[in-house]
Amino acid sequence: MRTIAAIRVENVVKTFGRVRALDGVSLEVKEGEFVVLLGPSGCGKTTLLRVIAGLETADEGRVEIGGRDVTSLPPRRRGIAMVFQNYAVFPHLTVFENVAFGLRMRKAPAAEVTERVRRVAALVQIGDLLERYPAQLSGGQRQRVATARALAVDPVVLLMDEPLSNLDALLRLEMRAELKKLLTDLQTTTLYVTHDQVEAMSLADRIAVMKDGRIVQVDTPLKVYQEPVNTFVGRFIGSPPMNFLQVKLSNDLADGAPTVEGTAVAGPKNHQGRELLLGVRPEDLELTDARPGALECRVVVVEPLGSHLLATLEWRGQPLKATVPVDAPMKPGDTVYFEPKQERIRWMDPVTGTVVQ
Amino acid sequence: MRRQRVWALVAALAVSLWVLLPIYLIAASAFSEQQAVYDWPKSLWPSPLSVDTLRFFFSVEGVWKATRNSLVVAGLTVLLSALLGTPAGYALARYAFRGQAAYRMLILMTRAFPLVILSIPLAQQFIRFGMYDTTLAVALVHTALALPFSVLISASVFLGIPKELEEAAWTLGCSPLQAFRRIVVPLALPGLAAAAVFSFVTSWNEVFAASILTLRERTLTAYLLSVLGEAPLPFRFAGGFFLVVPALIFLFLIRRYLFSMWGIASR
Repeated sequence: MRTIAAIRVENVVKTFGRVRALDGVSLEVKEGEFVVLLGPSGCGKTTLLRVIAGLETADEGRVEIGGRDVTSLPPRRRGIAMVFQNYAVFPHLTVFENVAFGLRMRKAPAAEVTERVRRVAALVQIGDLLERYPAQLSGGQRQRVATARALAVDPVVLLMDEPLSNLDALLRLEMRAELKKLLTDLQTTTLYVTHDQVEAMSLADRIAVMKDGRIVQVDTPLKVYQEPVNTFVGRFIGSPPMNFLQVKLSNDLADGAPTVEGTAVAGPKNHQGRELLLGVRPEDLELTDARPGALECRVVVVEPLGSHLLATLEWRGQPLKATVPVDAPMKPGDTVYFEPKQERIRWMDPVTGTVVQ
Repeated sequence: MRRQRVWALVAALAVSLWVLLPIYLIAASAFSEQQAVYDWPKSLWPSPLSVDTLRFFFSVEGVWKATRNSLVVAGLTVLLSALLGTPAGYALARYAFRGQAAYRMLILMTRAFPLVILSIPLAQQFIRFGMYDTTLAVALVHTALALPFSVLISASVFLGIPKELEEAAWTLGCSPLQAFRRIVVPLALPGLAAAAVFSFVTSWNEVFAASILTLRERTLTAYLLSVLGEAPLPFRFAGGFFLVVPALIFLFLIRRYLFSMWGIASR
């Protein structure tokens, strides 16, 4: 049985003048799923969201929402609701009328409007602000109003365009957790755009990483983090980013696999003699004793970050970063030894930057 | 800091006096008895206060008619320039279209073309169409004069309203027209009112085209211009008063909107 996808995007192309903002994008969001579009600015993530919302029309390709082809429908016929980056709360209407706006457009009976507005307002904790005007609200409160306004119409899908990026850091953290709880409880299908990888990791059921108008990888946050399909994803997600070391594999095999020259680190089978990129996250490098097979590194900088130390190292002229316990004895100029966790290594092709099996 | 404030106050006072004193003197004379105009030294207060001069002014034949004509012409001008200028301003603000910069320039260029050169051919055309000496003809010319400002002011008003507000309305069930009416118009109204007042004042104070294009259907300015030379002094003061007052009243009424348009929020 094929379940109905809440959103299905097929081969969407969108150009602005000479710029190809979306270059053949396909994506499926299942019902009740929370998918985050993540990528650097200019990667096309907002354009994709706007194409789905109907605020832009695709040059090529199809958009389906709730099993319906909406490619050429205006926004109001798509069954969506959207939260904008700058909230787009109507300044001349009270909070109540803002939240009620979509219901009023549907000519919902007054009693129903009041009932729904009160319920949604309570959900996002703005029940006591209903008579105020947006000018009298803080940024966080306006964000809540925008969310309430979108939820009030009970959309098939909720689209959110960097809804937290205009809040200060502390509030953003708070709202993030709140939003996650709210949308998990409501089971609302959500497509959420952000450039903040931490936000993406914390909120998403699945993350779609975008670059240059294409979707590079779609997977659960953990998979995207641990098993990036290319060096871009590895570097873009995670702070500090994944290390990539240029290495040469041996010609002779140990236990059926080649080793990285000068170390005991096993390389991928069937790639003996090749030059590859060894990708490893800073926390997957383990400090060990001086041991012949380990990576012998020189310490360049040590940054105490409270919960751990962040060490900037050098291995055969190549920089790499490792997180080590706070009590690790380490100072610049020291020679230290690290072993990458074998199962966490990602091997990449140095030319294409994509993963090697 | 304190000294700066004092100087600012003095400067503001000086500018206000510069503008308001002549207006006040005209008003004072208009509300004095007729021969008080010839008194010297002038008293700063009209004594005795009297509507004698004004009554005389309005008893002169043609004044009422000219005032009515002026109101009709200005009203038509406001209506036409709003009807034409608002959509043009909206298009300029919201849509990127080929030749937009040229279009914007062209709008301004119409003001660079001297009316003096235009008036004779215009009069000729209006005679041909049988529209010469009508309020509509004057209103059309005034609309042409007021339209550039109407377009540019409304364009800047619409630019000040974030596009996301409209888009949000679209996603919440509005057609573009509904979004315009429910979201854009309420937010733009103060600015559009200011544009309308500009049109009104432009028309009310315009004398050249009105003089050339009318004979019997004079507007107040054209009428006054033609009779002022021979008119007695009290009449001139009363006339001057009535030319200044509407503009003042209107600017006073919309001052709040003008302030908010210029970013000095009064709320």
